[in-house]
Amino acid sequence: MAITPKAAVSARSGGARTLSRALPGIKVYGIALSVSFGVIAVISAALGYSVPEVLRTLVFSSFRSFAGLKSTIKICIPLLFTTYAFFIPAKMRFYNVGAWGQMLIGGAMAAVVALLLADWNLPPVVLIPLLLLTAILAGAALAWVAAYLKAQYDINPIVSTIMLNFVAIQSVSLICTARGFMDPTGGHPQTKLLPSNATLGFVAGIPYSILLAALTILLVSVLINRTRLGYEINAIGYNPVAAQSYGIDFRKTLMLSFCIGGALAGLGGGLEILNIHNRLLVGFGDISGLEFGALGILATLVVGENPMAVPVSCFLWSVLLVGADRLQRTMQVPVELVFLLQAMIVLLIVITRAKLSAKR
Amino acid sequence: MEAITTFISQTVVYATVYTLVTLGILIGGRAGIFIIFGEGILLTSASTGLIVASSTQNWFLGFLMGAFVGGAAGLAFIYLHETYKVNQFLLGIIFFILGAGLSDLIYKLVIGVTLTPPLAPPTPVVGGKILSEIPILSGFLNQSVVVYFMYAAILIAWWFYYGTKVGLETRAIGENPKVADVVGVNVTLRRYLVTIIGSILIGIAGSYLAIVVIKTYSSGMAGGRGFMAIGITIFASWKPQRALLGGLLFAAVEVLSFTLQIAAKNFPYQLALMLPFLAVLLIMMIFKKRIEFPASVGDPYSRE
Repeated sequence: MAITPKAAVSARSGGARTLSRALPGIKVYGIALSVSFGVIAVISAALGYSVPEVLRTLVFSSFRSFAGLKSTIKICIPLLFTTYAFFIPAKMRFYNVGAWGQMLIGGAMAAVVALLLADWNLPPVVLIPLLLLTAILAGAALAWVAAYLKAQYDINPIVSTIMLNFVAIQSVSLICTARGFMDPTGGHPQTKLLPSNATLGFVAGIPYSILLAALTILLVSVLINRTRLGYEINAIGYNPVAAQSYGIDFRKTLMLSFCIGGALAGLGGGLEILNIHNRLLVGFGDISGLEFGALGILATLVVGENPMAVPVSCFLWSVLLVGADRLQRTMQVPVELVFLLQAMIVLLIVITRAKLSAKR
Repeated sequence: MEAITTFISQTVVYATVYTLVTLGILIGGRAGIFIIFGEGILLTSASTGLIVASSTQNWFLGFLMGAFVGGAAGLAFIYLHETYKVNQFLLGIIFFILGAGLSDLIYKLVIGVTLTPPLAPPTPVVGGKILSEIPILSGFLNQSVVVYFMYAAILIAWWFYYGTKVGLETRAIGENPKVADVVGVNVTLRRYLVTIIGSILIGIAGSYLAIVVIKTYSSGMAGGRGFMAIGITIFASWKPQRALLGGLLFAAVEVLSFTLQIAAKNFPYQLALMLPFLAVLLIMMIFKKRIEFPASVGDPYSRE
């Protein structure tokens, strides 16, 4: 098992726990980071790039200018939502690989409703909550399909969520090229601009969606640590047989955890459309060619069990992504090198954790 | 008649990808290893296979490269699973993400961004005048040598799992590794072997996709086929002899969706492109309840 109760303790031990408990955690991250950055250094040296330059750009691009920090936050917000979408069902040891599709469908449905209601001129106070609710429901509905297929037909959610991702990708393309929605002047498949009463603004260059992201962090933390559902999710994750024999409704918990995850991914997609792009366009769920779903999975696997650590890992991931984008533009280093670095960090963390928990 | 033969011929071309991946997955699954990262292998072996084949202008070296990449991925996966007992599904997701990143990275580093993408050399085709003129049947027979490799692989896998003692023992691992261990089967070694062989087959499918079907590489070209093959495996009830049937069925759906896309101008083509993915879910719903499933698939095994 990748994430055993023991490993969970070590992952949670950052703060007030004793040093002896914190040590394995430090060891896990230390090994993973040093090996991965070492490999990246070797690869970039072999490809003829200047190693200190690559590492400096990768790590410090976000902090050298306010613009860097702003783009880090802009990446961090949608990533946070797709990360929670994977994180919550993963606590039950069920893997929602469909956060990307749920995000796309959430954004697409919000855009469709916004364009359909364009003539009504609703005040933003009514319209924006309505659109966000649409996004939430759309994301949750797509995740519900996968959970239902698992509960009713025992179909592995990894397979069903990936199939639904492809359906979502085609749906976005369908809406972007549909008559009435399409923007005929755009070279890229995209819809017309949303009416201004359907869009959110920025404060000092930071999107308003950060408020909802902050609220989400709080609510997920309460859900996992303070509610009955959170307790049941944890119990099934530790031992599904014991949890069921103590009367926990497996089916209901599975459905709820997937729907909550899908709802969050859908909300993330809706916010991307309403706040960043102001229209639906093909490929809005990607950041420099890497999709938020896979990035969210990697960001979850770094932190293990603690929901409060998710924002931290998402922020660090975004720092690396901003660095990757900068690397590509200034030094022509492919973005995939950084993606590989992230996947490698995760693989090493998962292995070291398993190794340490096997020893004890 | 001509149209039907062309349709069958195209279907068999795509069915080879599906069938080889399905075969790889079910060979591993019979010994309890779920190769859920087939998509990652497909992508990486497609990019590396195409690079080797186009730079050497030798199709065989391209397939060798794809097979090597697949085997290496399988070895890494089974080593990490058997040594550290990491959850197969979690490890599989990471391997899929790694494969998706690695395929584009290698392609960008070696080929870079070019206006004229590298083209694959032609692979030999089994044909001749007589063979290519039989209606219907020529769709199955007048094909690349890799298609014949796929036919052979199915026969061998069928014979191995249902005709030999070693095959029976290996199937027993998939049902109950403890019992297999008690009667003296080396569970760990067998699991290493099936995973590596299965991954090699998927690697060959990836090279085939790039070298023979598309004839070049594009990002994400596997298009979910590695995951759809899991649905086919379930349809095939984890039996090698049914893998081809499932592969043909899905390839037919895919070819139909291409035809629909071209033939019906006003029909939104995106709906046609959704078809194969919805078909997988539908097929799994229909067949999931009545299949034979290796009982221990996905579980780690340790003696204590």
